[in-house]
Amino acid sequence: MGTDNNHHHNNDTTITTTPATLGPNISNNNNNSSSTANNKSPPKPPIKPAEPPTPTTTTTLQPFGSSPNTADSDFISIPSYSRWFSWDNIHQCELRFLPEFFDGRSASKNPKTYKYYRNAIIQRFRDNPSSTPTKKITFTEVRKTIVGDVGSIRRVFDFLEAWGLINYSPSSSSSSSNKAAAAPQQLSHNDNKDSSSSATKSAAAPPPPPPPDAPPSASADNSTTAAAAGGPKKRLCSACKSPCTISCFTSDKHNLTLCARCYVSNNFRVGISSTDFRRVEISDVVKTDWTDKETLHLLEAIMHYGDDWKKVAEHVGGGRSDKDCVARFLKLPFGEQFVGAPESSEMVDNQLTSRGSSFQNKRMRLSPLADASNPILAQAAFLSALAGVEVAEVAAHAAVTALSDFAGVKIKANLKSVPADAKQQDFDVASHGDTAYRMDGALAEAQSELEKEEEDVERALSEIAVQTKELQDKIVHFEELDLQVERESQQLQQLKDLLYVDQLTLLFYKAAAHKSGESMVESIKAE
Amino acid sequence: MKPLSTWGSSRNPVKFRIPTSDNLLPIRLDIEIDGQRFRDAFTWNPSDPDSEVVVFAKRTVKDLKLPPAFVTQIAQSIQSQLTEFRSYEGQDMYTGERVVPIKLDLRVNHTLIKDQFLWDLNNFESDPEEFARTFCKDMGIEDPEVGPAIAIAIREQLYEIAVQSVASAKESRMIKKGRKGFEHIPISKAGGIAVDLVKSFGNKSSVIRKRKEWDVFEPIVDLLSNEEVDALEATEERNAR
Repeated sequence: MGTDNNHHHNNDTTITTTPATLGPNISNNNNNSSSTANNKSPPKPPIKPAEPPTPTTTTTLQPFGSSPNTADSDFISIPSYSRWFSWDNIHQCELRFLPEFFDGRSASKNPKTYKYYRNAIIQRFRDNPSSTPTKKITFTEVRKTIVGDVGSIRRVFDFLEAWGLINYSPSSSSSSSNKAAAAPQQLSHNDNKDSSSSATKSAAAPPPPPPPDAPPSASADNSTTAAAAGGPKKRLCSACKSPCTISCFTSDKHNLTLCARCYVSNNFRVGISSTDFRRVEISDVVKTDWTDKETLHLLEAIMHYGDDWKKVAEHVGGGRSDKDCVARFLKLPFGEQFVGAPESSEMVDNQLTSRGSSFQNKRMRLSPLADASNPILAQAAFLSALAGVEVAEVAAHAAVTALSDFAGVKIKANLKSVPADAKQQDFDVASHGDTAYRMDGALAEAQSELEKEEEDVERALSEIAVQTKELQDKIVHFEELDLQVERESQQLQQLKDLLYVDQLTLLFYKAAAHKSGESMVESIKAE
Repeated sequence: MKPLSTWGSSRNPVKFRIPTSDNLLPIRLDIEIDGQRFRDAFTWNPSDPDSEVVVFAKRTVKDLKLPPAFVTQIAQSIQSQLTEFRSYEGQDMYTGERVVPIKLDLRVNHTLIKDQFLWDLNNFESDPEEFARTFCKDMGIEDPEVGPAIAIAIREQLYEIAVQSVASAKESRMIKKGRKGFEHIPISKAGGIAVDLVKSFGNKSSVIRKRKEWDVFEPIVDLLSNEEVDALEATEERNAR
């Protein structure tokens, strides 16, 4: 399936084509140009210099499992926020946006079929003849060729289109560079080499905006993509992609924003009901953006006043109600840690007041792990961020060596040398410590198994030796018996011979006696 | 071995559903507006919300660049087939020991397929999609549109049979209410098309099919040339008129 379709020409289907001005240019006018000699390189949309400095991310796509049959000069580009994609794996955001395949409710909707749909669609998109490398594919074309029910196929198709994995053309990205810039910038803060699930879990960074080349017809069309409306500045309806003017409906549960029209026309995805939405007036929107100063005030107030939200709201000022404060507090990435240990919060207080501007950085730095559901891990991440990178690294290293010693097996911990990216260290070290410990255990087990096997083999061998010895003894014994039997038979034979001789002599004498008897009778008669 | 209670035996009705692992509905569209004909067939998940129908119709029209009058027609057609399905949904159907022959006789673009095989109606875990995928892979069919067509053909036949069994269940129930002891007749009527397993796999015969039936059950896949395709299309249209 999904192989070359050169002979396939259906009268009913027309294929939409876009002007072939593309051929994605690697020499993009970016601040961070990712110039890779690799066959596939994602160009980043231009980032405004006004944003806080982002670390340079040079990314290379993972090599594809099946080499596409395009010429060497063709490149396939996908936006940088879809870097996680790989043919063989299913990523966290796929689990989130398309839960129907993974919740086991339907026997046919399982991860395997999801992978089949997804890979078939992407393969079909990439299978274009090399003359028109980025021809867009339509949903109808796709669903005709995939075995499955059209509802699910449509949702997978929309998802892929939203994330730019299909029908993505980089030149049109400048139209919504605002959005696109916001998304990869926030995601790049959570940059991890492996597809870290925490990157998408971070509450501070909403999922990326709708595709840059959304169909120009902004009518209340279909694709209810699950992408939230990007930054809080503008509210864009995620269904019809028109800016919300009067009022809109937000669903925090699913991170959707719909304009009034879409809400009324029930343009949701499956699984969302109308009760999940709450109405938001545009006039409120401006006020609901929390600035850093306000967040700072909020945190200070919380530490001073604890649970008294009224006082907190007073302290924050600016028309924030106590409910707003609570909501905002809950949304903060490391909010939970404040509730726990008061001593750590004091440390944070000092840190906060001393480094007001770097607050942002710290928060973002914590976000990779701080939002993890495991509170211990969150604490560890928080403390390690506070203690400083080098200290954390040394501590983790010491812990790892202690663990491996304890397991009784010495293995070389595969800690990498200090990578350039500071945030990576914490994560890497923690994960390597884990793996080191696990490897110890596995090695010890393997060795004990080996020893056991050796013992078994030895035992078996010794048993065999014993048995052969016994056999040998028996053979010797039988030989002796044999000899004896032969001797006796010989004796028997001799006796037989003697007997025979005796019989003969007896007979002879008998005969002789008989003759002499006769002769005596004759002699008596003659006298 | 599944316990007998899960099978809809002649005493034990089962709620109506398509006897496959996922309850998908085959939908066929054949709409003509202003001389423009649109024919299509696909599977639909009846648990999708009804808004999905309109969304799908609009998407299809947009993708295929059809005139917008098609949207309402398509949506209506899908909707009516859906409601028909739903009307059967609450009722019972009898599925006895039923192995039915399923016939494939379809032409998709350049590929012609003729096949016949037996399908176990009681197997609620069966999956026509998987069958279609395997079929295409095994027969080396390159045209990707064939798979879905096969799956849909199988589903349609299963759907029809299921509908029939619902009808027969209704009949038998009515008759049961009227006169007792006549239940056997309507059930066997519905089971007439089924292959009687006991007869074919009785203690004397073997499981291997008789030689004269081999040709019937062998799949045939033909690749047609363009002229043949045109000729066939012409005859089809003539028959349709």
